[in-house]
Amino acid sequence: MVTMTSEVDKNNSTAVCKATSSSATYNSATKHEDAPNILVYKKMEAIIEKMQAENTGVAVRTVKAFMSKVPSVFTGADLISWILKNTDVEDVTEALHFSHLLASHGYIFPIDDHALTVKNDGTFYRFQTPYFWPSNCWEPENTDYAVYLCKRTMQNKTRLELADYEAENLARLQKMFSRKWEFIFMQAESQSKVAKKRDKLERKVLDSQERAFWDVHRPMPGCVNTTEIDIKKAYRRGGSSHGSGSAGAALSNNPIEQLTRIITLRKQKLERRTIKVSKVSESLVSYFEQYSEFDYFITSPELPNPWQTDNTEMWDAEKFTKEIPMRRVKRWAFSLRELLNDPIGREQFSRFLEKEYSGENLKFWESVQQMKALPQSEIKEAITNIWKEFLAPDAPCPVNVDSKSIELAREAVHSTSGPNRWCFDVAASHVYHLMKSDSYSRYLRSDMYKDYLNGSKKKIKSIPNLFGVKR
Amino acid sequence: MPKDDPETAALKEELNSMIANFKAEQEKQNDCKLAEKCGDLPDVPKIRLAGKKILKGHINKVNSVHFAGDSRHCVTGSLDGKLIIWDTWTANKVQIIPLRSAWVMSVAFSPSGNFVACGGMDNQCTIYDLNNRDSTGVAKMTRELLGYEGFLSSCRFLDDNHIITGSGDMKICHWDLESGKKTMEFDGHAGDVVSISLSPDMNQYVTGSVDKTCKLWDVREDHHKQMFFGHEADVNSVCFHPSGFAFATASEDKTARLYDLRSDQQIAQYSPPNTTSGFTSCALSFSGRYIICGSVDNNIHSWDTLKTTHTGMLAGHENRITSICLTPNGMALASCSWDQNVRVWV
Repeated sequence: MVTMTSEVDKNNSTAVCKATSSSATYNSATKHEDAPNILVYKKMEAIIEKMQAENTGVAVRTVKAFMSKVPSVFTGADLISWILKNTDVEDVTEALHFSHLLASHGYIFPIDDHALTVKNDGTFYRFQTPYFWPSNCWEPENTDYAVYLCKRTMQNKTRLELADYEAENLARLQKMFSRKWEFIFMQAESQSKVAKKRDKLERKVLDSQERAFWDVHRPMPGCVNTTEIDIKKAYRRGGSSHGSGSAGAALSNNPIEQLTRIITLRKQKLERRTIKVSKVSESLVSYFEQYSEFDYFITSPELPNPWQTDNTEMWDAEKFTKEIPMRRVKRWAFSLRELLNDPIGREQFSRFLEKEYSGENLKFWESVQQMKALPQSEIKEAITNIWKEFLAPDAPCPVNVDSKSIELAREAVHSTSGPNRWCFDVAASHVYHLMKSDSYSRYLRSDMYKDYLNGSKKKIKSIPNLFGVKR
Repeated sequence: MPKDDPETAALKEELNSMIANFKAEQEKQNDCKLAEKCGDLPDVPKIRLAGKKILKGHINKVNSVHFAGDSRHCVTGSLDGKLIIWDTWTANKVQIIPLRSAWVMSVAFSPSGNFVACGGMDNQCTIYDLNNRDSTGVAKMTRELLGYEGFLSSCRFLDDNHIITGSGDMKICHWDLESGKKTMEFDGHAGDVVSISLSPDMNQYVTGSVDKTCKLWDVREDHHKQMFFGHEADVNSVCFHPSGFAFATASEDKTARLYDLRSDQQIAQYSPPNTTSGFTSCALSFSGRYIICGSVDNNIHSWDTLKTTHTGMLAGHENRITSICLTPNGMALASCSWDQNVRVWV
């Protein structure tokens, strides 16, 4: 045990060293370099640059449509064939997935769809301008978003019309920023004025690029947001060298000792008996069958669900009424633990034990459990009391425990280092087992339990089976 | 890497042969599939939960939610630097606790409802006593548990005086809150520990980690009793089966799984109709028949655990779901999300 702890300490210190050194490099890096996805971004950008190369890239055209022109676009099919030809991607599904990733990070975008994905057909796509690339670490504020949405409403064009979710967002933002809405409105107005001065085709491109930017940062419902990542994961990616470092150190510290320790632990494990999956399945099914009556998702509860019916009967019932629902009483028969977990069940059981003249068993077990939860300062006194009450040779209510457990308890209580809160564990588990195998089964067969079960049954009307589950 | 000396090599070989042994053993016990075995069970209905309450008040991503033992009050922690204690029935805030660090990642309610714990990137675990107030009128901070080298990713109370924590430095720690002392500390995993779930009898717990494994521990021991493989990416959440013989996991690899302790292996796997997004958290219904998982795709999915069929989806959140928690009596589900809201489903 001693060697083990010292080993742990060593690991700690090496871990600390690694951590400090890695955090030093971490600080010296610029903000951009430690953005969580920066490596991915750099790789994508390299490919995007190739795609945009004048002669060897994807063919970007201006397509003439009826009465209008669609400037600088390429089709999904063009893109896929370029990927197949110029990269080591070999089949179409892979190419589609790859281009989908590019799109979901906002490097390319469909010109008239908020869902950032790529289809292998004649749909038109456009490149995002480097200014809006995610590698610039955009963390746009809600006010910017509000300005953008506001601006869209000012330009009276069908292609700029707000989608439903955007309109909802706008309404929400307006509520949120009600005080500075005037300011937001003014800003939007001036931006749209500037935009109006631009060439028509240029404006089309810029508008769509801005829209794609917001599709990345405020995605349409149902789309996965690629720019935000879970802080737990972000932290791990940043400090991953630290993580593997200390694990590696732990192994290399003293490999032989480590390995022998692991092997002994594994050997213990090998001795464990395991059960076949078929048996496990049976037991899970029977557990479900036993408890399905109490599962709210399957059977409607006896007392109405307080959230459903807006009354707190369920919670009040526990406090005020004396009636015990039948289902609760039924559960007492599942196992001794179920019975003891229910305060009323515990009371009933202790009354039964009194009748059997074995009430001290439960009392002993209970007081040991209580003692274990006491603050350290009171432990010693509690232990002496329990010893005097139940186990000592002249105890007023002695429990029926084998001599070996008593001897173990005696040693623990009178040990030189002082008793600890686990000193009665062996005796208590013996008593528990005794109650479980003996008194508990008698209790379930007793008239006392049956009366109780029948008594509570009368008070309960039949429960409608809401969900129509076969029972 | 230096070459191993003969002794180490021999030991490593022994270890590898043992691992092969384990695999063979598992294979031997794996005599049928759970889903096949349960094929003739009657189907359970689609999950009937509906959004009943929206708990509004946080002004940033909500990262974690946990119910108290009374099945009525819950605590949520958000990146706005607040813990909120909610009465989920009235949807009112019972208490708001401002934190010193806004980077909270995990919260826990003690079963008695007297204490809450929280922690995160501040690399510590803080305990608040809800029944006592400090001079400013907010819940009194009773303990600050220090000494972590990584973020605190999970914590669970054993009782009012004992707490178990898992952290980004791969450690699992046990604390005695009365004395404020660490009673145990050990390396739990080969990666961040991200989730802890206590068994119903409070004598064991499972942990999930980004090292893709889960481990079973006895609360009194500092080495694991069992280890479970199978996931292909980070395990984000673990949840004990109410029987105490199995547990469910939710993972970044876009699946949820059920592992059994007695057969020492995975016995079922659940994936949504369209496998596009990972799962962040999981819960099991009172009888263990439904597994419910919060997903990155803004929805909560549910399956029949025995027949492994998809039994429905709860939509409502507008951003990824970070954490879900079922009340101890199994009657309501709380979920929290990056959309800053907490929802109660009944």
